[in-house]
Amino acid sequence: MRLELGTFPVTEVAFGSRTRYERSRLEVDREAALAAVREDPRIVTVDLEIAGPGESVRIWPVRDVIEPRVKVEGPGICYPGICGRDITTVGEGRTHRLAGMGVVEVSSVNWHDSGGDFVETYLDMSGQFADMYPYGRLQNLCVVVEPDPALGDESRNDAVHRAALTVSDHVAAAVRHLTPPEREVFTLDPVPRDLPRVVYIWCVHSPQAMSGSPTAFCTATYGLTQLTPPWLLHPNEILDGALTGPYRTAFAMSWTVANNPVLLNLYRRHGKDWGFLGVIVLRTEWTTQTEKQLMGNQTAKLASMLGAQGAVVTWDAGGNEFIEVVRSIQACERLGIKTVFLTSEDDATDGAPTMLEPLPEADAIVSTGFFKNTTLGVPDAPAVKRVIGLPYKMVSGDRRTGSGRGRDQQVATMGPLPPPWRYDDHYGFGSLSCIE
Amino acid sequence: MISAIYNFALTTGANRVVRGARIEHVCGDPSLGPEKDHAYGMRIVTTALDAVATPVSRPTLFDPLAPGPALEPAHAS
Amino acid sequence: MSRPLRAVHYVNQFFAGIGGEDKADVGVSTRDGHVGPGRPLQQALGDEAEIVATIICGDNFMSEQPEAALAEIGAALSRFAPDVVLAGPAFGAGRYGLACEHVCRHARALGIAAVTAMHPDNPGATSGKREVVIVPTGESVTSMQPALERLARFAVRLGRGEELGPAELEGYLPQGRRRSYDRGRPGWERALDMLQAKLHGRSFTTEVPYNAPDQVRPAPPIADLTRATIAMVTTGGLVRKGNPEKQSAANAARYHRHSVASLESLTPEQWEAYHAGYFNHIVNKNPNYILPLSFLRELESSGRVGRVHEQIYALPGVSTPVAAARELGRAIAEDLKQAGVDGALLVAT
Repeated sequence: MRLELGTFPVTEVAFGSRTRYERSRLEVDREAALAAVREDPRIVTVDLEIAGPGESVRIWPVRDVIEPRVKVEGPGICYPGICGRDITTVGEGRTHRLAGMGVVEVSSVNWHDSGGDFVETYLDMSGQFADMYPYGRLQNLCVVVEPDPALGDESRNDAVHRAALTVSDHVAAAVRHLTPPEREVFTLDPVPRDLPRVVYIWCVHSPQAMSGSPTAFCTATYGLTQLTPPWLLHPNEILDGALTGPYRTAFAMSWTVANNPVLLNLYRRHGKDWGFLGVIVLRTEWTTQTEKQLMGNQTAKLASMLGAQGAVVTWDAGGNEFIEVVRSIQACERLGIKTVFLTSEDDATDGAPTMLEPLPEADAIVSTGFFKNTTLGVPDAPAVKRVIGLPYKMVSGDRRTGSGRGRDQQVATMGPLPPPWRYDDHYGFGSLSCIE
Repeated sequence: MISAIYNFALTTGANRVVRGARIEHVCGDPSLGPEKDHAYGMRIVTTALDAVATPVSRPTLFDPLAPGPALEPAHAS
Repeated sequence: MSRPLRAVHYVNQFFAGIGGEDKADVGVSTRDGHVGPGRPLQQALGDEAEIVATIICGDNFMSEQPEAALAEIGAALSRFAPDVVLAGPAFGAGRYGLACEHVCRHARALGIAAVTAMHPDNPGATSGKREVVIVPTGESVTSMQPALERLARFAVRLGRGEELGPAELEGYLPQGRRRSYDRGRPGWERALDMLQAKLHGRSFTTEVPYNAPDQVRPAPPIADLTRATIAMVTTGGLVRKGNPEKQSAANAARYHRHSVASLESLTPEQWEAYHAGYFNHIVNKNPNYILPLSFLRELESSGRVGRVHEQIYALPGVSTPVAAARELGRAIAEDLKQAGVDGALLVAT
């Protein structure tokens, strides 16, 4: 598979008479984009708003941030499979991307109605809270959208995410026929025999357990969100959006998945430091020991059959999902595959272990710090001048019960706001860590 | 302790661990139908009682499903 | 240049030259100045500290009569009034390592700085939380000199009242006190570099040292179930229907206690699950899945079990920091013990 990725940097987004890209400025024909979204009869209201870095703006509720990408040559379409999109295998040919911007999906629709998982992310474009995430540096085109409330939760999720993808497609089309100022060729050329072989074991939450449904909306592999045995993906498929966000944390968005620095740098060092074999995507939150161990065994076996001598492992969740992740690590180590685990940590009060099931085989861990914003001591985000999205947010009286229905207070989005429950830098974008 | 994710209970120091059915329904399995569900749940609970009546020196698994034929149906999650 | 620190060195019977295993029962004794490895240790300390006395104890005596041994050692320390206590190095010797750890802990309790040295796998280093500063050494006495150098360096700093930096940077064994720390380079880069080092057999330092969970001594078995009172506890977030007690869905700060004295079973009309970590609907249809009251009642009726305890305990076991979980568990156990319960079934989701 050979993919040429053409990058069009965006430093400004503005509404105008036509959707076009010129010298890093993206002009958006608002009415045309909205008309495209309104073709879906499930959409009741939709609007577009722009938020630029440095502005005193808060966006809430943020369900996803998508980097506009479009296939120019080669089979399939970017962000395949999800929301009914074409499932043709991607990763070949040429893809153009608008870098430095995001299409932000803003809606009150929650992931599913079974309880436990709630949309919690809001984004600031300036100030300390903005600095914690990469989105504060993006030109953000916000799709503020609500679907027909009479629809079931899976339909509502599908409708609003499709609306965001429609806008993403619309703006990405502006650069389909242009010559990219930057381009990079991605291919896994044969490498010398003496270079070690490595895989990326990418563990990704499935909403199946929490929602009770195999078709609930969440992070998807070619549109499928259900629990499945591990997938083997070529890294080019990731670049074409075969793995999408979102999940509940700010670092689990389609944007962070497509721009994952672990993936990109594993790839860029292919042929120099190692032979990169590919990506094993493990869906997580199986709910019996047998299933979790089975996934661990099969993931390690797959890596071994590929010839892996090393593996980097990341995950995007908390709680019992940890078990299949650490069991994959253990199984790899027992097969002689050297693993490095990139993970956040839980409370360290009283000298307790900071992960759910510490296993001695996980002997090479890089920590992205405590994942709870309360443990990190993140202060309330200050008041802002403008809000994109809902004017009110529910926060619990006791900040510590931020997840779940412990919310008993409606506060103005504009005012000072406590941070979401989890920080959790899944892919190590930042340098925050822990030490003892 | 009765848990479907029993291994982690063992590695984190629980001394008497009984294997439960599934996180979402620990003491039984609704997909088995009412009679078998009840029998399975009873087997789990009696195994747990046997466990508290058994001396152990370290984390030990008590598996209601071993030996003998499995009650657990082979469905994926 | 400030005056030299007063140091006291602790060694076992072997390093004191008293004898080997055959003399491990000797009690506590003291000598002026340094003894055995105390001599090269004094050289390593140079002008910065003076070993004014050495305390000696047999490894078996310490192991079998720790209170007596530590009482005598404590008295000796009060007499010598040192600025710092150095114990060992114990290398791989298990009883010696434990003894060193006890001595240092006791010294700290008396307000005296203390440091010891041993192999990271020594039981003295792995038993319980590391409350004292332990300098890692090799397994055997052949690494005595570098061990003494490092022991001396830490002793001087601790004796002067200096606060040590993080274990990972300073080189002593981690004590489970983790804190936020900016490592200056993004996580993805550190991960790939660590991978490369590991692949090529080069040394690397894990950012999260393995921290083995606590071990708990098992309770003795119930002798006669037919006479026993059995209680039930669940972390499945069982609540009365409508959650009138307002149990949180996660991060439990307290447990909830309910009476089931008049109940044969948990019915969906009266109970439900409220827990942010799993799909609650199945339990909502049959709450006995996470607290098997109906089953225990049957067994009570048939005489298989003596009595079902009338109080049940519930909390949502998700996002609970270990420290909070320990405290909640301790409180529930205390309650059950006070109530004369013989055994408990804890159902976890």
